[in-house]
Amino acid sequence: MRRRQFLEALAVSAAAAVVPGGTRAAAAHASLRYLRPPGALAAADFAATCIHCGQCGEICPNRCIRYFGLENGLASTDTPFIIPRDKGCILCMKCGQVCPSGAIQPVAHTAEAILDHVNMGRAVVDRSLCLSYQGKSCGVCYRACPLQDIAITVGMMEQPHVTERCVGCGLCERSCIQMPQAIRIIPDYS
Amino acid sequence: MSSATTGKPFFLWRHLNKLRWLTLTLVFATLLLLPALHLYQTYVAAHAYDLLAPDEQRFYDTMEALSAPFTNDPAKDLDAVKGTTWSANLFGLKLSDPLAALGQAAAGHTLYLPFLLTALIPVLLTLVLGRVFCGWICPATFVYELNTNFSVWLRRLGLKTGTRRFDRRIKYAALGVGLLLSAAAGAVLVAGVYPPAIVGREAYYAIAQGGLGAGSVFFVGTLLFDLLVARRGFCRYVCPGGALYSLLGRFRLVRIRRLVENCNDCAKCNAVCEFALDPLHDGFGQECNNCAACIAVCPTEAMTFTLRLADIPPQGPGHLGHQYRKQHSGDNARHQQAVA
Repeated sequence: MRRRQFLEALAVSAAAAVVPGGTRAAAAHASLRYLRPPGALAAADFAATCIHCGQCGEICPNRCIRYFGLENGLASTDTPFIIPRDKGCILCMKCGQVCPSGAIQPVAHTAEAILDHVNMGRAVVDRSLCLSYQGKSCGVCYRACPLQDIAITVGMMEQPHVTERCVGCGLCERSCIQMPQAIRIIPDYS
Repeated sequence: MSSATTGKPFFLWRHLNKLRWLTLTLVFATLLLLPALHLYQTYVAAHAYDLLAPDEQRFYDTMEALSAPFTNDPAKDLDAVKGTTWSANLFGLKLSDPLAALGQAAAGHTLYLPFLLTALIPVLLTLVLGRVFCGWICPATFVYELNTNFSVWLRRLGLKTGTRRFDRRIKYAALGVGLLLSAAAGAVLVAGVYPPAIVGREAYYAIAQGGLGAGSVFFVGTLLFDLLVARRGFCRYVCPGGALYSLLGRFRLVRIRRLVENCNDCAKCNAVCEFALDPLHDGFGQECNNCAACIAVCPTEAMTFTLRLADIPPQGPGHLGHQYRKQHSGDNARHQQAVA
């Protein structure tokens, strides 16, 4: 009888494993725009590699790394994310150093390494909201950028131009004085 | 170890249970201290002292006083120790729970060597010492054993607590199911139902992230299960990590044995055993976590540690007990006659 119970449990588990899980969907809500920490693997690899240990957040000096509850699907629970409007990443690269699982790859704390290996997303300017494009010289996003003149340049009236090299840290979005923000990071999970 | 082979218990082993409580307390306290230190580090990194609320300033001062003897540069130096028992970084040495390694291997269908290596030391220790993580380190054990004591109080007040028993092999199925679901979902789902991982994480969430997470609900559920359904039920019957440690510790070298010549069959060892094992009849098995509670409770010093790769086969009733004396009273009478 006991063996039968055990085998039944095994059979149930096998059946549950075969059924395609609703947990697989990475971004359950299109409206939830979040970044993974710098150096994170592509979405599916990240989900399969992260062990939900919380060390990336525990070493983040900026406390920008937070953790999902159940809002992004069961598989994402306790995995790290960054909401750039709340707090951007200061690119200190400590999370990749402390991550034991390889879900966040270590990246050296140099501009070259960051430009080569970090791809959290890319900033996009909404010209209809941006003050500089409305004739009121602002330039706050440009000054907030840790990769000034590489990731973002300014033209006339400090109008921001994001370049291809933007790594998506989110400090520009955090600092934008418009409400809603005129510059935002479009995440790149690839 | 000569005392183990000659059969006389080493006097200190009675006190190992106290040492175990000390380590459990220290681990738990560390899990509370590390997030607090992290919070302090972020304040230091932000040069934010003057902007802090008065109670935050008091917190800052306390943490500064605690860490000042060990560091001049807290924002940098305190990074040396991070993490929880699920996965930790100790002065550059990364250690992980074997279940984390197995979970990642299942979720990614790959073996990622750098991470697997972080579980090597815990695995080797478990192979030699058995399931000691469960008894000596696990931060959830700290709470669960206090929960057991709490249920004893409740019973003294006349309330009923859970005494049901299930098949202990359920947890091996739970381990299998957890890994299969992790593989199916492509995510390390076992991390969400493994109490030590939850406790470490929730302590961090509560202290540094501004609130408890979803895992706390699950953990409270296991506490209620232990209280209302089965004593220490989650560890005994469900915990996937406990199952993995049990399998790894099956042929452990260090184990507890009963000294039949000292035993009086009082069965206190069976009553105290959190994992519902049967020390009285030499039934320790792979699930014994060497917690030494039976050694501490034994009134006749009949429990001791030994170095063996397998349990001693059942030795029959203890020589100081009624049953043994009844069986051998005839022998004694004949022996006395012969002497006379």
